[in-house]
Amino acid sequence: MVDLSVTIGKLKLPYPTFTGSGCYGSGEEFAPFVDLARIGAVVLKSVTRLPRLGNPTPRLVHTPAGMLNAIGLQNPGIEWYLDHDVRKFAERPCAVVGSVAGFSVDDYAYTCEKLAARDEIAAIELNISCPNVAHEGETFACDPNLTAKVVRAARATTDKTLIVKLSPNVTDIASIAREAESAGADALAVINTVRGMAIDVETWKPRLGNVTGGLSGPAIRPIAVLAVYEVARAVTIPIVGQGGIETTTDALEFFLAGASAISIGTGNFTDPRVPMRIVDELEAYLEKRNIPRLQNIIGKANVGFANPYQFEGDEG
Amino acid sequence: MLVGFHAPELVRVTRPGHFAMVVPPSGEVAATALGIYEAHGERASILFFEVGKRTRELGTLRIGDKFDVMAPLGNGFTIGGARDVAIVAGGVGIASVLLPAQAARSAGARVRLFYGARTSGLLVERERFAYEGCEVLVATDDGSDGHHGYVTDLLANASDKPDLILACGPTPMLRAVARVASERDVPAQLSLEETFACGVGGCWGCVVPLLRSSAQAPSFPPAELQGSDVVYARICKEGPVFWAHELRW
Repeated sequence: MVDLSVTIGKLKLPYPTFTGSGCYGSGEEFAPFVDLARIGAVVLKSVTRLPRLGNPTPRLVHTPAGMLNAIGLQNPGIEWYLDHDVRKFAERPCAVVGSVAGFSVDDYAYTCEKLAARDEIAAIELNISCPNVAHEGETFACDPNLTAKVVRAARATTDKTLIVKLSPNVTDIASIAREAESAGADALAVINTVRGMAIDVETWKPRLGNVTGGLSGPAIRPIAVLAVYEVARAVTIPIVGQGGIETTTDALEFFLAGASAISIGTGNFTDPRVPMRIVDELEAYLEKRNIPRLQNIIGKANVGFANPYQFEGDEG
Repeated sequence: MLVGFHAPELVRVTRPGHFAMVVPPSGEVAATALGIYEAHGERASILFFEVGKRTRELGTLRIGDKFDVMAPLGNGFTIGGARDVAIVAGGVGIASVLLPAQAARSAGARVRLFYGARTSGLLVERERFAYEGCEVLVATDDGSDGHHGYVTDLLANASDKPDLILACGPTPMLRAVARVASERDVPAQLSLEETFACGVGGCWGCVVPLLRSSAQAPSFPPAELQGSDVVYARICKEGPVFWAHELRW
């Protein structure tokens, strides 16, 4: 029997599989069809300080090898959420990770403190990278200074594991990752969706009510693998890799690139059994190669060869 | 294409208007939401036109092939004590209305099927509805069969006023059904179409705006929270069937 367990900050999980925020509800929605006990952790939909109605419809559009979404952080606000929703999460047979979003440093700290105080919540994911809400034109995760500020403020409110979700919509994700680490993040979720847009050529209107959206699915997988690879070389804290994972092969790419765990989002929309199937197949993959622990392969992508075909004096 | 499959457990719990998320055999992102056409004994079926990548792929299924469905999902139609039911189907919407037609017939109601399509070749399965004891009235956009025009013209001009309207089809048709239902003062249940991601209420991608004042389905934000006059319901979870007067159209 191989060991798939993983430790993310203080969070010890039997399986290295998360479900992406906003993609698996609170787990309950899929419970009639899957065995939630075979998931490492369900990451809940993001909650904000105040209630949000979310974006106008349409909120989803299928695109080649992926989809665009612009839900817009629809949620009842932290007070309602604590009073009505959080209690139910104790019934889940897997760990439940709360997700916090906001529009100011103070928002994040306030919501994070309240949510993290609840026993039903095993850890907090700080969603500083939602592409579908405006914050003076950019998200916190697009600015190293804002990232540092918001992570430091959230860190001060809780000792629970803090996972900071980064945006791919940046020039240098490694520098943002370093800021999050020095500000006290226990782990990094890499990556959120890639900004995108689709236009209906009959009506000339954007196909999303929000005009722009976040691209997910296999279309962004190579972007995500590279982001994990770059972040893994920049920080020492664990990475939860995500972006277009549908199969065990996809998951292994992320582990080899440097992710200690993975998260499945859009893959669940094709088949909600993807997280369980990956666990089953990872066991088989490692057993076949006599590798006792999944953590033995983290970051082991073999990139160490030199390019033998270079001109003399070429430094590339 | 009509694909029947062996699924006795599914048949037991399927009600009229339920839908299925069909996992594509390979490749495409996201499962496909399809109405459950038949559910009887040990056999259920789905009915679809091979128009997109996913449905074309499903069209390659051959006898003996296996595929995955997540079903039954959604709320379904409610026939209640209606004695004269008008069912309005547009295009592939026909796939969701056989079960309610059967249920209404079993309850002894008169059932008229108002069935519209672009052209006569796309009017599929009408003999089946006639076999079930429905009166079938058709309309085509190109006049190749039945009324030359919209199916809702037929509904508006029908001599006997039904006491319940059930409809499934493209959104412009459903809007027209809602208008006719309101004019003729007949309650109407509309099965809405939308792009789904999860299909089980987990992602809030397929919401429809309802009027807070008339919303019967559970909706967001909860009543205790102050909000706008518009509330959202998930088409996959609280729907796909809504009363016409609930919708903010």
